[in-house]
Amino acid sequence: MKIALCSTYVPFLYGGARNIVEWLEASLKEAGHAVERIYLPETDDPEFLFQQMAAFRWIDLSAADRIVCFRPQSHLIPHPNKILWFIHHKRLFYDLWDSPYRGFPDDEKHRSLREALHRADSAAFREARKIFTNSKVVSDRLMAFNGVAGEVLYPPVFQPGRFHCRKYGDEIVCIARLEHHKRQHLLVRAMPFTKTPVRLRLCGVGSGNDYPDQLWNLAGELGCRDQILFENRWISEQEKVEILSDCLAAAYIPINEDSYGYPSVEAAHARKAVLTTTDSGGVLELVADGINGLVVEPDAVALAGAMDRLYLDRQEAARMGERAGGRLRDLGISWDHVLKSILG
Amino acid sequence: MKVLIVNNMAPFIWGGAEELAANLEKQLVLAGHEAEVLRIPFQWNPAAKIPSQMLMARSLKLWNVDHVIALKFPAYLIRHPRKTMWLVHQYRQAYDLRGTELSNIPVSAEGDALVSLIREADREAFGECRAVYSIAPPVAGRLKKFNGLESTVLLPPLNDPELFGGGPPDGYILAAGRINSGKRQHLLVEAMRFAAESVRLIVAGPPDSAEDGDRLKKLVELYGLSGRVTLDLGFLSRPEYAGYINRADAVAYVPFDEDSLGYVTMEAAGAGKPVITATDSGGVLGLVKHGETGWVCEPDAKALGRVLSEAAGAGSKTREFGANARSLWKSMDVTWPRTLEALLR
Repeated sequence: MKIALCSTYVPFLYGGARNIVEWLEASLKEAGHAVERIYLPETDDPEFLFQQMAAFRWIDLSAADRIVCFRPQSHLIPHPNKILWFIHHKRLFYDLWDSPYRGFPDDEKHRSLREALHRADSAAFREARKIFTNSKVVSDRLMAFNGVAGEVLYPPVFQPGRFHCRKYGDEIVCIARLEHHKRQHLLVRAMPFTKTPVRLRLCGVGSGNDYPDQLWNLAGELGCRDQILFENRWISEQEKVEILSDCLAAAYIPINEDSYGYPSVEAAHARKAVLTTTDSGGVLELVADGINGLVVEPDAVALAGAMDRLYLDRQEAARMGERAGGRLRDLGISWDHVLKSILG
Repeated sequence: MKVLIVNNMAPFIWGGAEELAANLEKQLVLAGHEAEVLRIPFQWNPAAKIPSQMLMARSLKLWNVDHVIALKFPAYLIRHPRKTMWLVHQYRQAYDLRGTELSNIPVSAEGDALVSLIREADREAFGECRAVYSIAPPVAGRLKKFNGLESTVLLPPLNDPELFGGGPPDGYILAAGRINSGKRQHLLVEAMRFAAESVRLIVAGPPDSAEDGDRLKKLVELYGLSGRVTLDLGFLSRPEYAGYINRADAVAYVPFDEDSLGYVTMEAAGAGKPVITATDSGGVLGLVKHGETGWVCEPDAKALGRVLSEAAGAGSKTREFGANARSLWKSMDVTWPRTLEALLR
């Protein structure tokens, strides 16, 4: 089948939104399909919102048997066989309207833009043969704002067979971008409260140096640097596999994230329990407390208690890790399942 | 610098311009820039939908981009304050192909309106550019003739010139490159009927379609040339391909009306091999001078047969022409550093 994968992007910026497209591209090609990847530039400036949407309406992909659209506003591209794998709205005009992120006034002009955008989006959603989303949260928003149903299709990680478990060591690892909303600082704050020799390993880079510097300074102030391995650098895929294969468990505690997050899925593939928090949003679609990980309040004492529990009862940590792999199967997190859904 | 290369995309088709864009991206990265290719879908049939796609390219917004290098219509209509054109081609059906059977624009009032729309949009887009370069003399010629615009010819350099160092001749004439009816390898096989018994021809390269390959096989069989003509049909790795060039006595390249010098011509000249081409091969004649760097011959099997006989055997003339071809090519100074310097100026 000739399949065009359509998404929007900002040139020279690389993020998770490209992963889902490029990994699907690789999987489809492996299955013998002809795939064309189409990235179109899009800016967030409300002044140009409708101009760009008009441009997407004029794209002619009749050469493709089917198109799959990801990041907004690629869902406006017309095609008789349009599938959406919808990952988020233009959120400033949706759920983040009443938030400090909006950045433009709540005036008549912008309210009109919002209303027109909602109508245009809803019409484009109705054109799609099928809508998948990357999480329950996004499906819920689609229903609440646009009145359309989206089936959750969890994005798998690339080549999950790479991940494996060698042992259950002494480290709780968090391999994720070092950003404030990922809240590595809560993990640092937890360390002085631990009562066992459990260790913390933080790996990743930030978009700037501020937050990484704050983290390391915080560890210094709290006198817990010797409990932490701080690797503020890009971690290669191979290193990631090795680190996850030897760790005790993984921690991933973002605040109210939309999707379950690749770090937690990667840990599950390595058969490691995931430590997360009650307000981590989409991560809770994957992790159930005491089953395949631990879910605790987002505070230092609770996190420290959970780390000690994992350290003291490795058999339990191992059992939860084993169940994490099973949980991925139950949720249909595999490329086989994705291809069946997208091509169905 | 963040350099965005803007090109068209005919979905599911990969051709020379895509290759050029990918190589330009690679060379920019090697030179220490950030580079990406933006491919804008373009479906030119039916012609009535061309205007909306022009508007589409014009309406896209770019940010986080320092410099744009645009290659083709309508992708080059995209707006950016710092845009340089490296023109591969305009929409030729609105220019030199207008009124021929190769144009999909009807000869009618509506067709006229579409043509003037395209020409007006081109005028505006070219006017926005910091600089306008063409990839070959005929492209620059058309731009001058139809749009009254001067452009500098900037030939696409070879990507791996180090592979084409030349070598001792091994007693064959090589016909290389993609194999299809426009590249006319079949004419060279037919010419072998008229060439001296001692001449050997190797045809090496990927046929565009199974029919293109079969046509050559049938000709070899029909004329009983299997002892003198070798067909190596299929994809060749770059070292394999370069080996064929480096060991040849001479290279025969007789495409019909090519726009540019042709990679085969440049590679052969780089390797110090003379080139046999045809009077109607277009841009190839920029590097092949009859009696200096090779042979320019009527596109006729008999005439080509005589030239093959003359070139074969690597006599003193063949070696002299080869050396001249290399000197002429080197004097053109077509290299990536010089090309990037111009495109980013």
